[in-house]
Amino acid sequence: MLFNSLTFVVFFTLVVFLYWSIRSWTARKNLLVVASYIFYGAWNPPFAALLFSTTAMDFWLGRQIGKAKNQRSKRRWLVASVCMNLSMLGFFKYGNFLLENFQWLLARGGVIYQPPHLDILLPVGISFYTFHSLSYTLDIYRGVLQPTRSLRDFVLAVSFFPQLVAGPIVRAGDFLPQLAYAPRLKTGQFFWGLALMTLGLFEKIVLADTLLSGSADRVFNYSGPLVALDSWAGVIAFAGQIFFDFAGYSICAIGAALTLGFHLKDNFRFPYAAIGFSDFWRRWHISLSTFLRDYLYIPLGGNQVRPFRAALNLVIVMFIGGLWHGAAWTFVVWGLLHGSYLVIERVCRLFFEEKPWANTPIVRMLAGFATYGAVCIAWVFFRASDFTIASRMLAGMFGGHPTGDAILSTRELLQIGMVSAGMIALHWAMRDNSFEIAVMRLPHWTVTAIGAVMACAIILTQGNSNAFIYFQF
Amino acid sequence: MPSSISNFKERLRLPRLFFRRPSREEQIHGGPPLEFERPIPPAPWRGIAVVISIVVIAVTTAWELYCRALGYGPTLNDNEDLWTMARRRVQPESIVVLGDSRAWFDVDLDEFQKGLGKRPIQLAMAGSTAWPVLDDLAKDESFHGTIICSFVPGLFFAPPGSPPMVRAELGEKRYRNQTPAQRVSEYLGMWLEEHVAFLKPDDLSLEALLNELPIPNRPGALVPPRFPPYFQTEDRERRARMWEKCAAPGSPLAKKIQETWPPLFTPPPPPSYVPKDAFFAEMKKGLEKRFADVAGAIEKIRRRGGKIVFVRFPHTGGLKELEDRLTPRAQTWDPLLKITSSPGIYYSDFPELSGFDCPEWSHLSAGDSVEFSKRLVPHLKAALQL
Repeated sequence: MLFNSLTFVVFFTLVVFLYWSIRSWTARKNLLVVASYIFYGAWNPPFAALLFSTTAMDFWLGRQIGKAKNQRSKRRWLVASVCMNLSMLGFFKYGNFLLENFQWLLARGGVIYQPPHLDILLPVGISFYTFHSLSYTLDIYRGVLQPTRSLRDFVLAVSFFPQLVAGPIVRAGDFLPQLAYAPRLKTGQFFWGLALMTLGLFEKIVLADTLLSGSADRVFNYSGPLVALDSWAGVIAFAGQIFFDFAGYSICAIGAALTLGFHLKDNFRFPYAAIGFSDFWRRWHISLSTFLRDYLYIPLGGNQVRPFRAALNLVIVMFIGGLWHGAAWTFVVWGLLHGSYLVIERVCRLFFEEKPWANTPIVRMLAGFATYGAVCIAWVFFRASDFTIASRMLAGMFGGHPTGDAILSTRELLQIGMVSAGMIALHWAMRDNSFEIAVMRLPHWTVTAIGAVMACAIILTQGNSNAFIYFQF
Repeated sequence: MPSSISNFKERLRLPRLFFRRPSREEQIHGGPPLEFERPIPPAPWRGIAVVISIVVIAVTTAWELYCRALGYGPTLNDNEDLWTMARRRVQPESIVVLGDSRAWFDVDLDEFQKGLGKRPIQLAMAGSTAWPVLDDLAKDESFHGTIICSFVPGLFFAPPGSPPMVRAELGEKRYRNQTPAQRVSEYLGMWLEEHVAFLKPDDLSLEALLNELPIPNRPGALVPPRFPPYFQTEDRERRARMWEKCAAPGSPLAKKIQETWPPLFTPPPPPSYVPKDAFFAEMKKGLEKRFADVAGAIEKIRRRGGKIVFVRFPHTGGLKELEDRLTPRAQTWDPLLKITSSPGIYYSDFPELSGFDCPEWSHLSAGDSVEFSKRLVPHLKAALQL
């Protein structure tokens, strides 16, 4: 079920009404579990069974880790949990990718092997709920969480519908404590939640789908060479589209959770105003970057090791991050590019961080724009479906096709320019702030006007229920 | 700075994470106490929500009234979900109508039912090719019904990846993969579309309105041609009827639509990045393959007892001249019937089927479509030996 669909409007209204009408906290939690499974099953009912089985396994494995007498035994149970989760993810998401690469490797060795193509349907949001669930056993192993006694609570923590299929990645340790007591209905919290949902839908339906996605799709799907203007416009359009699409989903999820009395952390903090790549990853998909930091980067030694090893750790983490997004080498290159950006930044910091000129506003702004440019270049690999398209796009962007085709209309170019400039200006204006502070500072009539414009634009845009980009991950 | 703001900022700046002693209940989970609580900006939220609701209702109502004043009325939009609903109704012995918008506009289901004894299922889609659906029906081992297939050469032979092919494949894809949520959304959407006039994505959505801005393009820019504006109503059986505003002879809407056909029906120039010879050789190969594929699919259906008839529906004016010039009958229609050994009805071969005027050159008005269907039925019965 998509947030931007009529089914969700009816579903959400019913759930919220019933939820706040019921007095018993246990009954309310049961309602949320049922609602979450309906939400998920509305895509493909059999996959709800898969979701439940992995959740139940992790619940049991979590108890085993908690009960284990010694570290070795704990580790064994943790390995079982990690293997179970990653093998599910591996089979559904990477099965064909692994087979194809295996076939390629054999062919290099002169062995012709034609593996059967597995007709595997990817369960929506599997990467997200696997991480929700995995965080539970990992945190119990790390000793920062004790296993819950309630299977129902754990099932709800993994499957809570606002964040189930496209994040934010909410750790069980952040969510389970919220199930301990019944939240009270607070007017401000409820309406702020609705306001965030409106903002998220506006970002998705109006900005991403209506104003940017068409141009990005046309540029990336074009099979010929493009002039630099159209190539850059397509990439910049995609940079805006993916931000509004994913941040829009996260804001919707946060808002929907808030209307039900649950608190989810920010997943985006104005990332296109980042100065440097470590800053970018503190602002982009925060729940994933902190997950990888806590459960992969730090266990690998983080930066408490020799510089070369620390750099390698960064690259490994970003390699995994790239692969998490999709079973294709283009995603791996996207991750490795970000890994190398982080390493280069670290080296630059060694040399220039202490220089007085390095912290002047002009240099910071230039560094910010350089970061945005480099991030856009990396998006080429993220969006392109293969390396032929990626290399053609890069060639176009850097003047390799001076006599290439121009395929975007002037109206589309203006749209991309205005939306992207507005987005970047807003990110810079808000880079040290939050929506909450902005709303505090604005007069109430302005907040009302902005809310009304966004709501009217959503209705008049007549969105066509396009899926969110991150659903495929 | 007002004190409320500074307090608020302080709260935000200071640990957003605030710690407190876990309650007994929280200790059940053994997890940390609630570490994070989203700040809620203090504002008269109830009042803001009421004002926003009033503004949204007022703006939406005003827009609805304005659209109705322009002549728009509530009707269904043709999309993949509505097509999927029709596709699901296909039974092994059904009569199905395939092809492009001419079959969609010009076939009256009531007249066909009266004449053929069975109500046909309308699967023709505007701007699409019949091939993917024909192929799918051929692969369906249970199907042995009757196919009435519209033929517009430019669309029927559309190559893979072209808009007519993509449009048809989207419908097929939705039919295969429609989720329960999409199904529910379609029913809810249909109810809304039957009551609200401004729900016309082709004409009245933000994207369509922006597309109407008179902004000139760069010289040489390969911008796709515009599609015709909204000019039909549609019911739950996917019966399309031309909007009266367009059906009136010489109406501005009809003229506007006439202007959209030449760019849409003229094939784009060969891509600059492919040598011309190679391009035309590839096109020829694609055409031969399509002929062979269609013949193969029809043979499969025929072996199971199914039947097919091709129909060339009326088209007039500048569009007829253009089609006759670009896709002459001798190079398209005649070989199709020969290679597939199928019967065909070319409207201009029969005086009773000729003489209809297409207000915008490509489709019949709602009234004419009923009369045309009535006159077409005996020819269909003869061709299909019913």
